[in-house]
Amino acid sequence: MHKRLTVVLAVLVIVSLLASACGVAPTPTSPPPTQAATKEPSPIPPTSTPAPAAKPKIVRVTFTQEPDNLNPLYTTMWFVAVLRDLYLKTGLIEFNEKNEPIPLIAKEIPTTANGGISADGKTITYKLRQDVKWSDGEPLTAEDYVFTWQMIMSDKNTVSSRDPFDLFVEKVEAPDKYTLVVTFTEPYAPWQAKIFCNVNSTNALPKHVLEPVFAKEGTIDNADWNRNPTVGVGPFLFSEWQSGSHLIFVANKDYHLGKPKVDQVFIKVTPDDAAQIAAIKADDTDIGVFISYADMPDLQKLGTVNLVKVQSGYKESLFFNLSTQDKTKGHPALQDVNVRKAIIMAIDREKICAELLYGLTKPAVTFWDGTVYADPAAKPIPFDKEGAKKLLDDAGWKAGPDGIRTKDGVPLKLRYVTTSRDVRKNTQVIVQQMLKEVGIEIELIDHSADVFFNSYGDQGPIAIGQYDICEWSNAPAFPDPDTPVWNCKEVPSDENPAGTNWQFFCDQELDGLLIKSAVTVDPQARIQLFYQISKIVNDKVYWSSVWDDPDWWTVSKKLQNVKLSGATPFWNAHEWDLQP
Amino acid sequence: MRRYIIRRLLQAVPLLFIISVILFVLMAEMGDPLATFGGRGVIKSRDRIRLTRQLGLDKPVWMQYVTWLIGNDWLKLDLDGDGVFESYGTRKGILRGDMGFSFVTRRPVIEMIVERLPNTLLLMLVSEVITLVVALVIGLTSALKQYSAYDHLVTALSFIGYSMPIPLLALGLIYLLAVTPKRWGLPHFPTGGMFDPAAGPGALQTIWHMVLPVTALSLIAAAGYSRYVRSNMLEVIREDYIRTAHAKGLPNWEVIFRHALKNAALPLVTIVGMDLPFLLAGAVVTESIFAWPGMGRLFYDHTVRSDFPVVMGILLIVSSAVVIFQILTDVTYTFLDPRIRYN
Repeated sequence: MHKRLTVVLAVLVIVSLLASACGVAPTPTSPPPTQAATKEPSPIPPTSTPAPAAKPKIVRVTFTQEPDNLNPLYTTMWFVAVLRDLYLKTGLIEFNEKNEPIPLIAKEIPTTANGGISADGKTITYKLRQDVKWSDGEPLTAEDYVFTWQMIMSDKNTVSSRDPFDLFVEKVEAPDKYTLVVTFTEPYAPWQAKIFCNVNSTNALPKHVLEPVFAKEGTIDNADWNRNPTVGVGPFLFSEWQSGSHLIFVANKDYHLGKPKVDQVFIKVTPDDAAQIAAIKADDTDIGVFISYADMPDLQKLGTVNLVKVQSGYKESLFFNLSTQDKTKGHPALQDVNVRKAIIMAIDREKICAELLYGLTKPAVTFWDGTVYADPAAKPIPFDKEGAKKLLDDAGWKAGPDGIRTKDGVPLKLRYVTTSRDVRKNTQVIVQQMLKEVGIEIELIDHSADVFFNSYGDQGPIAIGQYDICEWSNAPAFPDPDTPVWNCKEVPSDENPAGTNWQFFCDQELDGLLIKSAVTVDPQARIQLFYQISKIVNDKVYWSSVWDDPDWWTVSKKLQNVKLSGATPFWNAHEWDLQP
Repeated sequence: MRRYIIRRLLQAVPLLFIISVILFVLMAEMGDPLATFGGRGVIKSRDRIRLTRQLGLDKPVWMQYVTWLIGNDWLKLDLDGDGVFESYGTRKGILRGDMGFSFVTRRPVIEMIVERLPNTLLLMLVSEVITLVVALVIGLTSALKQYSAYDHLVTALSFIGYSMPIPLLALGLIYLLAVTPKRWGLPHFPTGGMFDPAAGPGALQTIWHMVLPVTALSLIAAAGYSRYVRSNMLEVIREDYIRTAHAKGLPNWEVIFRHALKNAALPLVTIVGMDLPFLLAGAVVTESIFAWPGMGRLFYDHTVRSDFPVVMGILLIVSSAVVIFQILTDVTYTFLDPRIRYN
C-alpha cells in the first residue's frame, strides 16, 4: 500500500510540474502591450480614420548571425550593413533594387557634366542635402564626413578596414557646411560604392557624439555609441540590443523622406538554419534570409511567404591554378587553354544545378552577371562531353589502359579543392564522376572555411597553390565591378604574402585592362572595358562558374513594398507596410 | 577539514595556471582572428597587416599570454608601425581582473559574459532541477518495480531518450508543439527566442518560452540519470541494513526514503557536482535551435571567429568553477556520509 502511495505521489509531482508550465500560457496572438510600451516611444496615433487602437506594426526579421558591432568602422558583417539602412542612412549614395546608384545624402550624383568630378578625375565634390538631421536634432553636415575619414585613418582606432582611404584618398575637406570635397591620389573608378557608402561600411559617424569620446579616451574603439547608436539618421532609430537575443528599431517620425508606415523592426537572432525555417513556417518572422536551396520547395508550398531572389554579385566559381613556380605549381596540363576549356565542357553544370539546387539557379555566364558590367553578348561554354574528349586528345592527353589520360608520362590527375559545405562536397563528387568519363582523375580535398581563406602568409591552402581546381563563391566589389584576383601584382609570394591572385598568373593584356578600369571614372567607358575584360577571362577560361549564387530571402505576404537591393537590401524600409 | 580545504584551494592555483597556458596556446596556434574580418569577402592584405600590429597579434605566443595574464600597461608599444615605441598598452591582465576586449565586438569580455550568464543559468538550473526530480522519481519507481511492465517501458524510453541527438529532439519538439499546431490554428508553443516581439519581455513570456528548451534538455539528461539512480537503488535495496530495517518493522516508505534513497542518491551528488560548473557553459545546440541567448552560443560564435579574449574568459570561468565545485562536492560528501573524513 505504501508502494502505491509512493507511485501516486510521484505522478502528482510530475503532473503538477507540467501543469505549472502549461498553465501560464498567454496566447501569443493577442499581445498585452504592457511591457512593450515602456520600451518604445508611443507611435503617433492614427488621426484620419476612427480605427480601433492600433496594434503596433512590428516587422520581424530573423538573422542567422549575431551582429558584432553597430559602428560601421568596426564591422564587415553583412548582417550589420543591412541594419544600417535602418538607423545610419548617412551614405552619400545608395543602390535601388536594380542595383542602380541613386543619391542619398548627396543631392545628386557627381558627374563630369555637372562639375562634380574634376577634369582630371582626381577630385570629386559632393553637394549635400541640407534637410537631414541626426535624431538628436543636430544637422548632418560635411564635417561629419571629414570626422569619419579622420577616425578611419587614425592609428588609435583599430578599424576593420581603411579601404579605400589609405591608398587612394589624399584628403577629405569640408569647404562649407554642406559641401564635401574628396581628393584622390589618382582617378578612382569604384568611388560610388566605396566613398562614404553603406556598401563598404564607411557611413558618416556623428561627430558631435564621437569626437568628445575620442578626445577623452584617445580612441573610439570602446565608445558606447558603438553598442548603443541612439543618435542616428534613418527611417528607424536604434532602441535596444540584447546581445544574442534581439535588436529593436523604432520608427523615426522625423525621417526626412517621411515617417515609416511600420512602427518597429524587430531583429530576432536565430542562429540555426533549421530553426529559422521553423520560424518562417510558423509565421514567427516576416523576413528570413539566406535560405538554402534544400528548404525552398517546402517554403514555396507554404503559401504565406514569397521567395525573393536577390543578386548580390556572388558566383559559385571554379578557378584554375596556373602557377609554374615549384612551391605553388598547378598541374602542367592547366597551362593549356584547351585543357581548361575541355574540363568545363565535360561538366554538365546545368545538371548540377537541376539536381543539387532544385533547378532554382543556373551557371553564371560572366563574373559580373547581375550588374551593368556583364557583357550581354557573352555565351557560356556548352556541355559537350565528346567535344571535351576531342580537345584533350588534340592537346596530346591520350587515354591510358585505365582510362586516365597521360602525356609525356604525366597522368592527368587534378586536385579539386573546396570548403566543407555539404552542397560543395556533393558538387565535388558529381564533378569527379563527370571528369572521370572524359579520362581525368580527380582527387577531392576540402578544408574548413577558416582555413581555406587564409592568405599565403598564413599558409592558406589555396593561397599557397595546393590545388589544381578550386571552387568557392566569389564576387567582385558588388555593386562595383572591381576585383583584385587577376592583377599581376597580386600574385602571392614570400615578398608579397598577402597577395590575392591565388591563380598565380599574369596576363599582360588582362592586367592592362584591369589597371585602366580602376582609373576610368566615366561609367560608360568603364562598362566597355569590363566587357573586354570579361571576354578575356571567359575566352581564356581563367574562371568559370558552377552556379550563380544569389541570396534567397523569404518575405511574408503580409509585408508590402519590400524591394530588396543586393547592395543595400533595406534601402526602402520607410515604405514597408504590414497588413494585419 | 579547514586545512583540507585550504590545501585543495592552493593546489588549484597551479592547476588553473597550467590549464590557462594550454588553452591559450591551443587557441593562439589554431585560430586566426583576422580571417573573418573581411565579411563575405577576404580581408585586404594591408588591413590584415595593420590589424595584426594594432591588436598585438604579431607578438610571439608567449608574449601574448603574458599580456593576457598581467597586461601591458607597463610596456611601450609601437601601434602605428613606424618603428617608434610611443604608446603604453592599455591592458591590465586577468590577474588584475581585466579580461580584455573582444577582437570581434571590441567590448569588454566581462560585460559580454555577464550579459549572457543569467539567461544560461536560468535555462540550465531549471533543466537540472527538473532532470534530477524526474530521474529520481523514475529511477526509484522502476527500481522498486524491477522487471515489471512499467520498468520495461521506462527502460525502453530511457534508451531511446538517451540516444536521441539533441538537434533532432529540439527540432522535433518545435515542429510538433509549435509549428504544426499553429498552422492548424491550435494553441501552441513559440518557436524560439525569450519573448514574443509583440508582447515584449516579461516573466510569463520567459517561462512560456522556456518550456520547449527545458523539455529538450531534461528529457535526454533524465533518461541517462534515471538509469543511474535505478541501478544504484537496486544495489542498495539488497543491502543487509535494508533487510534489518524491514525486520525492525519500519513502514515501507520510511525504509525507502529514509534509508535507501539517501544512500542511493549519494553518488548522484558527485555527478551533480561535476555537472554544475558546466551549467555555466550553456548548451550550444539547444541555445542555437531555440534562439536562447546564452553562454553556449557566445562560446561557439566566438570560437569559430577565433576571438580568444572571449573564449579564454569563458574557459577560465568554467575551469575555475570546475575546480571550486569539485572541492565543494568533496566537502558536501563529508556532511552526507559520516564515514567519509579528510584528514
